[in-house]
Amino acid sequence: MVVGELAQERDVVIIGGGPGGYSAAIRAAQLGLSVTLIEEGELGGVCLNKGCIPSKVFAHAAQKMADIPHLKDIGIDLENTGFQLGKLQNYKAKIITQLRQGVEALCKANRIEILRGHASFLAEDRIGVEAGDAFEVYRFRHAIIAVGASHVSPPTVSVDHERILNVDSIYSLETLPGHLLVYGNDYIALEAAMSFHAFGSQVSVISDDGTFGLDDTIAKELQRIWKKRKIKLYTRCQIERAESSLDCVAVTIRTAEGETATLEGSHLFVSCEKKANTNGLGIERLGMKTDENGFIQVNRQAQTSLSHIYAIGDVTGAPFLAVKAIKQGKAAAEAIAGQLVEVDLTFLPTVVHSIPPIASAGLTETEARRQYGAVRIGEFPLAGNGYASILGQKDGVIKVISDAATDVLLGVHIIGAGAVELISSGVLGLEMAAREEDFRFPFYPHPSGNEALLEAIEALRAQAIHLAPAKQGKKEDHTKGVTI
Amino acid sequence: MEVKLHDIGEGMTEAVVLTYLVQKGDYVKADQPLVEVQTDKMVAEIPAPAEGIVQDILVREGETIAVGTTILTLQTSAVVQPNPASSSNAAESFRLPSANEETGGSVLTKNIRRVLATPYTRKIAREHGVNLEQIAGTGPGGRITDEDVYRFIEAKQTKSASSAAALEAAPKKENSSASATSVLPFCGRRKQIAKKMAQSLYTIPHCTHFEEVDVTELIRFREELKQHDIHISATAFFIKALSLSLKQFPIFNARLDEEREEIHLYAEHHIGIAVDTEDGLIVPVIRHVERKSLREIHEEAKQLTKRAQENKLSVSEITGSTFTISNVGPLGGSIGATPIINYPEVALMAFHKTKKRPMVMENDEIAVRSMMNISMSFDHRVADGATAVAFTNYFVRLIENPKRMLMELV
Repeated sequence: MVVGELAQERDVVIIGGGPGGYSAAIRAAQLGLSVTLIEEGELGGVCLNKGCIPSKVFAHAAQKMADIPHLKDIGIDLENTGFQLGKLQNYKAKIITQLRQGVEALCKANRIEILRGHASFLAEDRIGVEAGDAFEVYRFRHAIIAVGASHVSPPTVSVDHERILNVDSIYSLETLPGHLLVYGNDYIALEAAMSFHAFGSQVSVISDDGTFGLDDTIAKELQRIWKKRKIKLYTRCQIERAESSLDCVAVTIRTAEGETATLEGSHLFVSCEKKANTNGLGIERLGMKTDENGFIQVNRQAQTSLSHIYAIGDVTGAPFLAVKAIKQGKAAAEAIAGQLVEVDLTFLPTVVHSIPPIASAGLTETEARRQYGAVRIGEFPLAGNGYASILGQKDGVIKVISDAATDVLLGVHIIGAGAVELISSGVLGLEMAAREEDFRFPFYPHPSGNEALLEAIEALRAQAIHLAPAKQGKKEDHTKGVTI
Repeated sequence: MEVKLHDIGEGMTEAVVLTYLVQKGDYVKADQPLVEVQTDKMVAEIPAPAEGIVQDILVREGETIAVGTTILTLQTSAVVQPNPASSSNAAESFRLPSANEETGGSVLTKNIRRVLATPYTRKIAREHGVNLEQIAGTGPGGRITDEDVYRFIEAKQTKSASSAAALEAAPKKENSSASATSVLPFCGRRKQIAKKMAQSLYTIPHCTHFEEVDVTELIRFREELKQHDIHISATAFFIKALSLSLKQFPIFNARLDEEREEIHLYAEHHIGIAVDTEDGLIVPVIRHVERKSLREIHEEAKQLTKRAQENKLSVSEITGSTFTISNVGPLGGSIGATPIINYPEVALMAFHKTKKRPMVMENDEIAVRSMMNISMSFDHRVADGATAVAFTNYFVRLIENPKRMLMELV
């Protein structure tokens, strides 16, 4: 490695072209900064190439598969409704290429310089980019680290990408698993389980807690749906051992009570832990602060312990969500341009593109009770929504939580058709510090799934129209003396 | 844990420690304000990054410290930190305390310290360095409104001003405060201006002389340029002419070092432009005027003035001037002034209102001409009246015959 003395000067250097990195690059360019984006692999990062986008292509196809029985109900008879995984793979590849080209075009249009290679910090203001035999040194005024995180298999499972899969390999399968065992506690596990079930695989889920971080009502509804669809759930279980042979996987699980059992499947999917991609980045050389797990510590401006270097997205630790990376990326670019910005993750929405989809923002009921004591709960099952009936998608429930003392909304949780789109109303309301009346006052399109959100709000005061009196307001009992 | 002075914004490099709001040994909660500091633009509070006990106060009130200096230390042991959410330091306080980080961070356990304010209101607070948790909202349901934030900022400024005043006039406190019908805050930029003016006037023996300039030709020249769609402000011409004059008379672009008995002459012409803003006078600086074209000077002056009015200037943009001008003409009125020199510079020139007046021309005819007065203050320790008059004469010749400036093209 030859370190040239002639360093090239750059305003802002961004390491990593995932959703956080390229958003930061474009925003910085919009603010008049000259931007250099360094990417080792493909633009778009894990999200576009391996994570969010591939899994959503599958979730989309799965939803269509799930719609087929309903199509027959409404008189649409499709003769051959078989599922060809190969074709879906082609479609996935096409979508990924198309989106990646879109990102590349946007970078070009914003005059962002893209360097291919591996970046490592040489000093507080110098970075080297290694591409094959070439090694160039750049001097920068500001840097944004957006290198992401990688999957780490649980200690008891070794991912072989053949029979034992993780998110890097499951969406590249060429044949459908006969019986897919899913191990995990997060949205990635949920999406994999639901998608492959819809394609026709038998699915069993092994989970530490079975709530997947969801509000209890939502988790209960999810478990009800699974039972109906014959997805087997093993809760409060951990994998002790997983062994793959030529045609199957044998998994030994241990329950919280200490009992062991062995499950057999054709494939095992594990939703992994994450590890920051800081190896070889040279941040130790700069004395940059990381937490005990190696994730870079940042403040509300995404600034690291070195004030001119920022870090965004997965490399800064949980939650590992692109939506966070995108926001931090923009904030970092704006901070570099001299703006006063803040990233506040309080109302970060989490969404699961399962069947039906799940979305939530704010506090769960348990969290709300712990922090506020007296709260009001409004629940409205989608079975009471006319439009959901038309769609044949009556599974699901909307739950809203408000502070009994001030009427301020604390959380919105949705499982059911349209959840991912509908959560935006909830997030907006929560950010605006909306109270019950602020949600109750506006008009909601009729007929539509939006009305279910209104009825959940109305159910806070036992005033939902399409819900029997006995089924609403009952949770008022728990609000400790608050009368309505 | 060390609590340091961090960059509160706008590229500040140092601040004065005003008042401690806590004492050694005090128990403080996370985000509780610890100390008030004053930057060149504002008074801000530094909150506790975590809860703990104030162990040691390292900087005395009134001291000026650089960003990064440790102000006080907090003892934060596990015993005084029952709440894991606030145990981490400020740099990571926004991170969600996820109990499940080891399992891939799937569960977002939120511990909300909910502030009832819209994102817009939160931005106002952020831009003023205000911690919303200290404000009691008057809006519906205890919401914090924009007005609440503004009222809080005002109250804080008044408080710090009156507490400072109370310190200085402690014995007569009751007498003086009883008769005051309204109190204006004397802090932030106002106080900064006062300090600089007093320092300049106490140090420099000021001498001011007046001159009148016929700007008719300059106006005509600017009209001509306009026909070519070139718009250059009169100020830009003044700055350029001034720079050309300073080249001839470098003594006015200098600094006196009395201790070392030296006068330092500068080759760089960094011209400060006095700008009036809502918060008071501020002087952004155009650097290296001697190397810049009229067009560049015009653009830069325009940008700096705009940024000044938006209160967006960084410290680097308001420091380092070697000569200052004050164009009071556009404000209307004022035929002369005795401007105070921007210490430690040697001179300052003010441009007054241009008026049409009957003037006797060289052929003894009376003509209507556009006339402008200028006032030039200089440090009489460094230069004498004759030099100053020669300097303004040179300047006047350039302005009265703007095309002469062409002769100076490099």
